[in-house]
Amino acid sequence: MSRGNKSEAKVFALKKRRRRQWLTFVRMCRYGVNNFSRNAWLTIAATAMMTLTLFVILMTLVSRNILLDSVSEIKNKVDMSVYVEHNTKESDLKKLQTALEDIDDVTRVTYVTPQQARANYAQANRNNPRALDALNLADAKFPGTFRINVEDINDTSGLTKFTETNELYKKVHDADRPASFAGDKREAIANIGRWVSFAEKMGLLISIILVTISSLIVFNTIRMAIFNRKEEIEMMKLIGADKAFIRGPFVVEAVVYGFIAAIVATGLSLLALYGAQPTLESYGIIVGTTLENLIVYIGFVLPGMIVVGGVIGVISSLLATRKYLKI
Amino acid sequence: MILLDRVTKTYGKTAKPAINRVSLHIEPKEFVILVGTSGAGKSTLLKLLTREEKPSSGKIVVGGIDYDTLKDKHIPLLRRKIGVVFQDFKLLPQRTVYENVAFALEIAGMTGREIKATVPKVIELVGLKGKEKSFPRQLSGGERQRVAIARAIVRQPKILIADEPTGNLDPRHSWDIVKLLEKINRYGTTVLLTTHNVEIVNKLKRRVITLEHGKITSDQVSGSYKQ
Repeated sequence: MSRGNKSEAKVFALKKRRRRQWLTFVRMCRYGVNNFSRNAWLTIAATAMMTLTLFVILMTLVSRNILLDSVSEIKNKVDMSVYVEHNTKESDLKKLQTALEDIDDVTRVTYVTPQQARANYAQANRNNPRALDALNLADAKFPGTFRINVEDINDTSGLTKFTETNELYKKVHDADRPASFAGDKREAIANIGRWVSFAEKMGLLISIILVTISSLIVFNTIRMAIFNRKEEIEMMKLIGADKAFIRGPFVVEAVVYGFIAAIVATGLSLLALYGAQPTLESYGIIVGTTLENLIVYIGFVLPGMIVVGGVIGVISSLLATRKYLKI
Repeated sequence: MILLDRVTKTYGKTAKPAINRVSLHIEPKEFVILVGTSGAGKSTLLKLLTREEKPSSGKIVVGGIDYDTLKDKHIPLLRRKIGVVFQDFKLLPQRTVYENVAFALEIAGMTGREIKATVPKVIELVGLKGKEKSFPRQLSGGERQRVAIARAIVRQPKILIADEPTGNLDPRHSWDIVKLLEKINRYGTTVLLTTHNVEIVNKLKRRVITLEHGKITSDQVSGSYKQ
């Protein structure tokens, strides 16, 4: 055979092999879809389990996001205060504000004038005549207040250092009112800080546990579905099907479970969040931001869920069939 | 076509051998009946031929393929050259008669056109024309076994192994299946049949190999069998 004929034969053989591979792939997909549509009960059970798993996964992520939003809101509400004499000069106030803003960890500094503080007090106690009477006494003077937000409410070392070392502050601070991160108030803020930190850690731990458990459940469901058909696998082996051809339809079937389950689970999660939003927000739990994000990014969330469902399906079916594919 | 040379198969280290130094030679186009009581070693022998089991010692050559040199990845190719029929049919329950038969060709990578040309002929050969769209659950035992035979022969194997194919059938259907196997043998396929059915063995008057306790105790050219 000439060199030209040889290379032609090679190309022909390669084409033939590729055509066979393509045919095999198409057949595996067709068998997978057929298995899905012809095993009604098994399909319903496996898809339901996969839906539940993906729902748990998405809701776990959503809950964690909601928790973080709510925690962040609490953090923002917890502000630390330092007080200065009511007659502190404007230029000193500006210097102090700049000095406070320069401290690491401080995210926002707001100055509340004595007049504003007085008005706020009057508004808050408008139904309390005794408090309002006390307000009218000549010596009821309010201090100037710097409200400070920090990144980590458990760490007030920067502020403490400021109160101890800033000469201007030492000169103008209200001697009757210690800073709020010192003394009794410090303990209250520290408690909130510890709670927030605990909630974040627990949220992460619970997320990991839930995702692990639900993945194991769906893996087991697929394993049992395949166990039910181990004789089929046995037969396929005996008539000469290779491992890829036997596995393929099971993998395709599991991917179809994952695909449908991802769509249903995403829809269910959105419905659940919409339904629960008014109730949760009445308790101060911030759902709106997460829900908005879910809707805005649905083009990523849904494909993401489909990928997660598909990956769980592929891994489960590969592991489950491996056992029956030994020679 | 089939050669076994002092083949022994032992399960576990201390157990008695299921097959004990069996030597056997089956010519192309032969029709051989393998008989023996339960536990005699018939199923083990067939499993060795289909390479479900590896021998503990000895040599096996089937259709020119020496099992000693056969790699695991080539086992599916070997099995495509041997047709196998089982007592419990082993059909794909969720697939129709046509799909069950076509499956054997699909795994070999044959094109849709080739499959369409071949499958109907084989279904007709086994007498199931008109049942192509039926599922196995809609068929009688005899019909299911015909589907299994069609699947086994559709690739035109040189060897057909039938492991108790009449074990689950009534006498009339049993005899139909045996006649079908004879027909396949007449077309040139080597048939190795295992059975308990004395009547079938004695009527067929073919080569009969008797296995007892893992050893061949008789090998008759036109044999008979007494239980």
